[in-house]
Amino acid sequence: MSDPVQVRDLHKTYSNGVQAVRGISFTVGEGEVFGLLGPNGAGKSTTIGMLTTMLRPSAGQILVAGHDLAREPRAARQATGVVFQDSVLDNDFSGRQNLDLHARLWRLPRAEADRRIAALLAVIGLADRASDGVRTYSGGMRRRLEIARALLAKPAILLLDEPTTGLDPAVRQELWDLIRRLRATEGVTVLLSTHYLEEAERVCDRVAIMHQGHLVAVDTPRRLVDTVGHDLLELEATASTGEALQILQASGATAGRPLLTAQTISVPIRPDADQRSRLLRRLVDDGLAASVTIRRGSLNDVFLHLTSASGRPDGVAGAGAADATRPATEARRPA
Amino acid sequence: MSAATAGLSPLYWRRLAATGKTVPRLVAQLLTPVLWILIVGPALARALGSFSPSIDYYTYVAVGQVAFLVPFTAMFAGIDLLTDKDFGILRELLVAPIRRATIPLANAAAVATVALLQVALVALLAVARGAHFHTSLARLPWFVATAALLSLGMFGIAQVLALAIKQQAAYGALIPAIGVTPFFLSGAMYPLAVLPLGLKAIALVLPWTHAVALLHYGMMQGTDPGLAAIWHLSSEPLMATLSLAALAVFAVASLAIAVRVFSKSTSDNVP
Repeated sequence: MSDPVQVRDLHKTYSNGVQAVRGISFTVGEGEVFGLLGPNGAGKSTTIGMLTTMLRPSAGQILVAGHDLAREPRAARQATGVVFQDSVLDNDFSGRQNLDLHARLWRLPRAEADRRIAALLAVIGLADRASDGVRTYSGGMRRRLEIARALLAKPAILLLDEPTTGLDPAVRQELWDLIRRLRATEGVTVLLSTHYLEEAERVCDRVAIMHQGHLVAVDTPRRLVDTVGHDLLELEATASTGEALQILQASGATAGRPLLTAQTISVPIRPDADQRSRLLRRLVDDGLAASVTIRRGSLNDVFLHLTSASGRPDGVAGAGAADATRPATEARRPA
Repeated sequence: MSAATAGLSPLYWRRLAATGKTVPRLVAQLLTPVLWILIVGPALARALGSFSPSIDYYTYVAVGQVAFLVPFTAMFAGIDLLTDKDFGILRELLVAPIRRATIPLANAAAVATVALLQVALVALLAVARGAHFHTSLARLPWFVATAALLSLGMFGIAQVLALAIKQQAAYGALIPAIGVTPFFLSGAMYPLAVLPLGLKAIALVLPWTHAVALLHYGMMQGTDPGLAAIWHLSSEPLMATLSLAALAVFAVASLAIAVRVFSKSTSDNVP
């Protein structure tokens, strides 16, 4: 069976000339949770917009559940559930009425719609509030209802555009648990965009990092983290970062190019304990470090390395920065 | 249900149900026509008589109130569209497996239904207050069709204006100007003959004018001068057909433009 989402050489140029998406390609496999990450303006919202048929691509092709969005948009929409970044509920109606409208628009048979609505309301914990107007719902309740609504017609693909933005951490955690649970029971393929990298790292099977309209990396979170090194040394310089950089690079303890953000240097570091302690002692003794920490690398580090200022003449921007200018246009899932 | 009409029924009923929840607005829409029907119309008829011995002036202005009420109600559809777009469910509807054109068409049908119910209420009040409608099974459909076409045409204008203006407050300020001003040139309050020549020329091309003449044709059988003032022909059925055709062209063109503008502005032209 072909991949539920196939994006090929996708471009989007707005009428004002802004090139929001510049030739990206990726696929999402059946049952996979795929995250689209990127800073503001990276092009991920535009990409989601094209996947939901809210925006028309300038060039390229999108296949959703085997349907070409340009030729069969309604068939593709039938196979897709969407949760938007902002709450999109019919505020004049109750939770159940919102679900019922969705069921009718997606042409679910009446009996099946009733059964699905009852089951999903129970799963999201809103069965006893289903008859209340959605105006009375909290942000978390609204979001849970929207996720249930998106899954009501048993879509092959669930698109989540920044689903946890604006929610407090506890509600975010609750929602991710819900999405994981529903994914397991519904068997749906999930494509999401998010700013919360630690959440993407926990939830996604694979992530794609977008930068300036390009895909700069696509892989599992673990493999991407490995590209910046298992452990990272983070140093807050006391004054000039130049001297600290020289010592780091000459120490032989580092395992990649450093990333410089303001007064902070972040660099992958080798596992050799002696080398590490020698380096730390030197930095402290010379009074170059206000603070030094060694911690595990994270997707956040990958993100920073790939999307921070590239093209510095001293090549300091980081191990991934050189690659950041070269789009990762062919991204494959791990075997 | 065929793919072409998928979504029409749920969206139609949704809009009707949503409208039913806006009781203050429905009352506000009816307020002016009801005042005219219950107070101003009878008072004017008593004070001034009529412009023609064969015409009951109260009945004349009561029928004419439909040309006030229907466009006024339809103009509020622009507010609904902006509310759905800015705060509501429009995006959910745009990702539904239906033709995008279904959304404004279903709303147009719901708005026309509400308008016809309001017209029925106003007509009943007018009868209770002493209006003498002279209609028949052959003429009543002209009245109903006219009200429906006027509503559909005005709905189209409301959608286009709302999508162009984008701001609810700015759009709301335009409702009286666009929805009501042409009413005063339409012959609803006085015959077209009394208008200055320049204004009469303008009035003759307004859909409101054709609508008022047709409403009178439907409800004041054998007494209304409106159609003759427009067409100057001897055959009343022919003149009525011509005015209805003009109104239908207005409604179809307005709706077609509205659907096109809606699709373009809300969905980047994806069908």
